[in-house]
Amino acid sequence: MRRLMIGLLLFAFIGGLALAGETVKIGFFSPLTGFAAADGHAALIGAQIAVDFINAAGGIGGKPVELVYYDDACRADQASAIARKLIEQDQVVIAVSGSYSTPTRAAAKIFQEAGVPMISAYAIHPSIIETGHLIFRVGMGAPVEGVAGAHLAVEILGAKRIAVLTMDNDFGVSLSEYFVKTAKELGAEIVFEKKFPLGEREFRAMLAQVKLKNPDLIWATGYYGEAASIVSQARELGIEATILGQEGYDSPKFIELAGEAAEGVIIVTDLNRDSDREIVQKFLAEYEKRAGHPADMVAASAFDAVKVAAYAIAVAGTDAEAIAKAINDIRHMYDVVTGPFYAFLGREAIRPVEVQIVREGAFRSFHTFTEPEIIIPPEL
Amino acid sequence: MEFLQQLVFALVLGSSYALIAIGLTMVYGILKILHVAHAGIYTLGAYVGLLVVTHLTHNFWVALIAGMVASGLAGVLIYRGVYYYILRRSRIVPLIVSIGIFAAMNEFYRLVFGPYQHAFPAKLAFPMVITPYFVITPKQLLIIALTAVFLLVLYFVFNRTKVGLAWQACSQDLAMAGAVGVPVDRAVALNFLLGSALAGAAGILMAFYRNEVYPTMGNVVAYKAFVVVVLGGFGSIRGSVIAGLLLALVETFLGSLEWFEFPRDAIAFLLLIFVLMFRPKGLFGRL
Repeated sequence: MRRLMIGLLLFAFIGGLALAGETVKIGFFSPLTGFAAADGHAALIGAQIAVDFINAAGGIGGKPVELVYYDDACRADQASAIARKLIEQDQVVIAVSGSYSTPTRAAAKIFQEAGVPMISAYAIHPSIIETGHLIFRVGMGAPVEGVAGAHLAVEILGAKRIAVLTMDNDFGVSLSEYFVKTAKELGAEIVFEKKFPLGEREFRAMLAQVKLKNPDLIWATGYYGEAASIVSQARELGIEATILGQEGYDSPKFIELAGEAAEGVIIVTDLNRDSDREIVQKFLAEYEKRAGHPADMVAASAFDAVKVAAYAIAVAGTDAEAIAKAINDIRHMYDVVTGPFYAFLGREAIRPVEVQIVREGAFRSFHTFTEPEIIIPPEL
Repeated sequence: MEFLQQLVFALVLGSSYALIAIGLTMVYGILKILHVAHAGIYTLGAYVGLLVVTHLTHNFWVALIAGMVASGLAGVLIYRGVYYYILRRSRIVPLIVSIGIFAAMNEFYRLVFGPYQHAFPAKLAFPMVITPYFVITPKQLLIIALTAVFLLVLYFVFNRTKVGLAWQACSQDLAMAGAVGVPVDRAVALNFLLGSALAGAAGILMAFYRNEVYPTMGNVVAYKAFVVVVLGGFGSIRGSVIAGLLLALVETFLGSLEWFEFPRDAIAFLLLIFVLMFRPKGLFGRL
């Protein structure tokens, strides 16, 4: 009996090794349940499209890529547990976070300690990549996005009196921090500043106060649910100021929920849907085919994170330090949707910052920042 | 002028709190169960309304009635299918079961309708009130008017019908009410039917007002309704209505102040602590 057991165990072990040898495992986590499930699914589909594109082109060195994914429910404790599982049980070569800032920060710490590289797709908090030398980000960081927003507001849109509404989580606070600082430096006056909790749907009381201050521009952070409420309630109260948003708005759902109030809203993001680059249009078409609705920034960022991970493994193999070096050495990567990535500086993808405007129910290109002082994080 | 406009916002918000809290306090009044799944019923109303609006007709009234009927029946189903069998257990048992049902309902909505927010494209011809002092949009007027109608109906049912009398008897002593010939089971089922229908109506009204329906829309409602019920005094419908309006007033006015950094949703608990310090039974509690 014991011999049989040992034999079985040995068999399973060898079988496992053989399987592990057949595929290149990329770990992935995103919120598939809970309040952030919509973004989590979008990110997962984006990542799966990347894997399928890579495998269709022959995989990495002849081996197919396998995406090992889990649901973190957008919770830090779940993300930590998943990180350990991906490292110890699944033994992934590299991991991609398709989740928000808070769970991503928790997981980043564990990946760094275990010596497994991780790429954050779209979580924007500055502290994520400060975790260590193995943690990267392809999405735009809060510093870049906030600074670009301020330049857009003051220099291009000519705003002088700005109201700031900040969602009280890692995402909103870090964005507004850099926006307010830069806008003041550029000479604008912040006439109103207030925080609101994630999931807030009732902004009328706050917006009535904003209206009294008569701002010419409103910078409002939020995901598309909050954003749609802010925008439609502001218009309902007769506020005509330009509303400036960020990548949190970047979803067709924002336009669906806000309806006509969405017209003229401007956002800072990293997805240019009007791009004539082939990879962008190919991705957008494939996403819509699979999901049944148009792609957003979240899906595109997850796609790019997997592309960067696969590229690094193809160049450097499975050694963590070599992978980190390969990502740091990336120059002019064009085969990504939210790019092109000019380089990775401070473990962050440097790329043009997109500005999109809602016109006739769709996001359209409004401006592209390529100035180094805007697109390179201020700390560098 | 500013004040009156904020008052309108508070009245609308307070109406939604009152509608959802009434059902909770009705259930608690009779069965002494903390019915957490009530917030799941609220979401159900919104989804049924959404199905009607997207597949049958854009008419708001049809959606409202369908949503209320479905919510009411779902409430009865939860009572007859689950609570009925565990009423004699310790009160912690129905509470935990209720939390389980709520979580299951949320995941059910996510699996069936997807995790995405849906717009609520209902159409309704309703007047808009414009005065020099404040503006009431058609949707806001609808919520205020419907809530007033529901409250009147509720008042009538409670005080002028046999069912209302039966509920009052049950809430005083369930066993004794049964002993003297009150059809307890039917009375409780009707209690769930009406309370849940009101929660469903609240769900549809808020879905219409905010133009969105999503699986976790009941989460904040779940705990805020409890605060309203505790504030008003467990089992007191009048208390729930007044506490709902009071909470909305405080939230609206504190929430509009630029220097008030405290999150709006935490105000409920602040108010709760404050009131319970001076009136441990809540504003109108009889326990």
